[in-house]
Amino acid sequence: MTSWYEATARQRIAGLLDPDTFAEILRPEDRITSPHLRELGAPAAFDDGVVVGRGLLAGRPVLVAAQEGAFMGGAVGEVHGAKITGLLERAMDERPAAVLLLLETGGVRLHEANAGLIAVSEIMRAILAVRAAQIPVIVLNGGRYGVFGGMGIAASLCDAIVMSEEGRLGLSGPEVIETTMGVEEFDASDRALVWRTVGGKNRYILGEAATLVSDDIAEFRAAAAVLVDAALPLDLPEVEAEHAMLRERLERFSDIGDAQEIWARLGIASPETLPILDSDTFLRVTEGKAVRRKGDAA
Amino acid sequence: MSRWNKLGVNRAARIERASHVAKGKIVDATRIGDLLEQVIEPGDRVCIEGNNQKQADFLADALAHLDPAKVHDLHIVQSVLALPEHLDVFERGVASRLDFSFSGPQAARLARLLSSGKLKIGAIHTYLELFGRYFTDLTPRVSLVCAQAADREGNLYTGGNTEDTPVIVEATAFRRGVVIVQANEIVDRVPRVDIPGDWVDFVVRSPRPHYIEPLFTRDPAQISEVQVLMAMMAIKGIYAEYGVRRLNHGIGFDTAAIELLLPTYGESLGLRGKIATHWALNPHPALIPAIEAGFVESVHSFGSELGMENYVRARPDVFFTGPDGSLRSNRALSQTAGLYGCDMFIGSTLQIDLAGNSSTATLGRIAGFGGAPNMGSDARGRRHATEPWLRAGREADAGGIPRGRKLVVQMVETFREHMEPAFVERLDAWELAESAGLELPPVMIYGDDVTHILTEEGIANLLLCRNDEEREQAIRGVAGYTPVGLARDKRMVGNLRDRGVIRRPEDIGVDPAIATRDLLAARSMKDLVRASGGLYDPPTRFRSW
Repeated sequence: MTSWYEATARQRIAGLLDPDTFAEILRPEDRITSPHLRELGAPAAFDDGVVVGRGLLAGRPVLVAAQEGAFMGGAVGEVHGAKITGLLERAMDERPAAVLLLLETGGVRLHEANAGLIAVSEIMRAILAVRAAQIPVIVLNGGRYGVFGGMGIAASLCDAIVMSEEGRLGLSGPEVIETTMGVEEFDASDRALVWRTVGGKNRYILGEAATLVSDDIAEFRAAAAVLVDAALPLDLPEVEAEHAMLRERLERFSDIGDAQEIWARLGIASPETLPILDSDTFLRVTEGKAVRRKGDAA
Repeated sequence: MSRWNKLGVNRAARIERASHVAKGKIVDATRIGDLLEQVIEPGDRVCIEGNNQKQADFLADALAHLDPAKVHDLHIVQSVLALPEHLDVFERGVASRLDFSFSGPQAARLARLLSSGKLKIGAIHTYLELFGRYFTDLTPRVSLVCAQAADREGNLYTGGNTEDTPVIVEATAFRRGVVIVQANEIVDRVPRVDIPGDWVDFVVRSPRPHYIEPLFTRDPAQISEVQVLMAMMAIKGIYAEYGVRRLNHGIGFDTAAIELLLPTYGESLGLRGKIATHWALNPHPALIPAIEAGFVESVHSFGSELGMENYVRARPDVFFTGPDGSLRSNRALSQTAGLYGCDMFIGSTLQIDLAGNSSTATLGRIAGFGGAPNMGSDARGRRHATEPWLRAGREADAGGIPRGRKLVVQMVETFREHMEPAFVERLDAWELAESAGLELPPVMIYGDDVTHILTEEGIANLLLCRNDEEREQAIRGVAGYTPVGLARDKRMVGNLRDRGVIRRPEDIGVDPAIATRDLLAARSMKDLVRASGGLYDPPTRFRSW
């Protein structure tokens, strides 16, 4: 068992794809680095913190982007974003079985300000274009820094999110919420609260993650292999149905202050034990209880 | 009679003075100040139960707030100064003299108070030394101790964290001193009697449970791959080499890595049942996977560890537990087990000099020692023979009558935090001793007790060194890129390696390429909980759930 959480972007790709099938685009030796960081005298990464390329997953051709959390928390700068957008646009030409986004990011790289913001919005537009072409875009989220900021939105635009319980997904990160709303609203140092709110298990129960896996690269690979070649429809009725689902969810739980109360209301037995369960037991205990997710029949 | 019983007469007077404050042995928490004023006389030697983990915090606070006009010039004898109140007694002028062992969290303030003349330090002791002096020239006149529960007769249940209580109470009660207890609860019947009621004079129910620090919990997520490599070298190059079965571990991440590698790497080398079977150790959560894998036959503990209560209760074949099922610890006896009943001590340090002296002292902090100095010293009084002890003795080759040696291993990365070199020409302990007016530099483990130094560069076996020069070069030879390491004599270090005095990872068949965190039997706190079958219940600060 090899931990996804502790692995680097390159280790994740190596473990995810069929052996020796990955071909990187814009390799580190090409030295495509951030002009903004250079300007600021900040350290650069030769891949600008994201690895992109193509390879095979269980024999099927896929395009892959993997963010490196160890470089600036996986933050999206201009070059970093352009690499992901470019990869998504290439999918329109190559028509792979899926685009896999191995995300680990705090969101926009603040050093790059508007260039970073624009980069994230370009990624979102490209995701929707690829989906409209009926090529599935799949997010794998189980890294140290979670997936936050604009990339949290981008992840939610995709066909499916595979998460481990260690993974986190949100818009504002815990510290940002505490800073702006106060510690009474959200205590970012309460790790149990953070994970029970934005962690993989709650995201699965809320219908945001399609699958929950253990922190094991092999499990991410198996989950992704099931999701390739199966694009969800993307048209106006689908979008309206998704909006209705979100509205219904909001109304159903709007009086609740803690995730554990949601689990109880969904009829999950012993909700206080969910956080410690291993993923197999967790999936068994919550079977049929989770909120309806994207692509589930209405 | 009174000519030979001054202590008893004095004791009776103290008890009599306090009689209006107490109802039987029970004293209300609001009257604690009155009680202490009636019982304690100026100049008394007072022991506050300050342990490594549990603290008589309510009584310490009450003592610190006494009126220095009435109670002053106390001589505090206490193993660990952990809380601010322990120094408030000096700051406020209630006490003026101190004999102790360890003051980790209060080390900087202790140094300031010493330089401002608020207190005088008698000596910084090892634990066994201080306990020994409780029964010779430092017997407490009054002791302030703590218990989980007490009954109305004063019988005490100390729970898993018995720690120093038996030693303190025995020394005080049998020399006509006064024993005052804070208990978390007063019950009709205690679950088991850890201290008999007739050794106890007064019991007060503290307004909140006594403070306990989870000192021995190491989150596996923070173990580095260098530490994994060093743990592999320790297991293969020392544990397996000498067949070490009886041992004590330090409390750092280095040794936690070893504990977590036993069921994986240790198992792969076929070492189950052959090494690390009998321990003097607190119930380290990191030991759970090794226990579950059948490596561990017994563990005797100095104290307990928060969250381990149910796990310990469910493993009575491994831990020392009472008829009630909970852990019985005892620091004095576990230190004795570590000193005389173990063949090896292994732990981390901060600084090592060219003679192998090992110290955790840093400037501006008077921290004292934990359990390392007693357990990390050769027990020269030892007479029973075991194979690892005999082999170490043979390697030392002192000539004359055959003697064994305890293995004392210091494990350290060549650079520690902030790129401070761990190897130095001169320990900071010297400067600290000069600036604080200490008679001895506070050396944790003396060089002549250290048998092996283990770094990521290799293992230096100091037993095989035949003179001071070889010893110095053996140490330089594993000191890597520190200035001490770079100043090595390359030819001599090469010769020492040929003789097996220095052994690199490849010399003992340890492949650094496989030294990854994947080898750890648990990589997170959650893994430890799962390994325990849900019995381990870690404190909130260590949880993400």
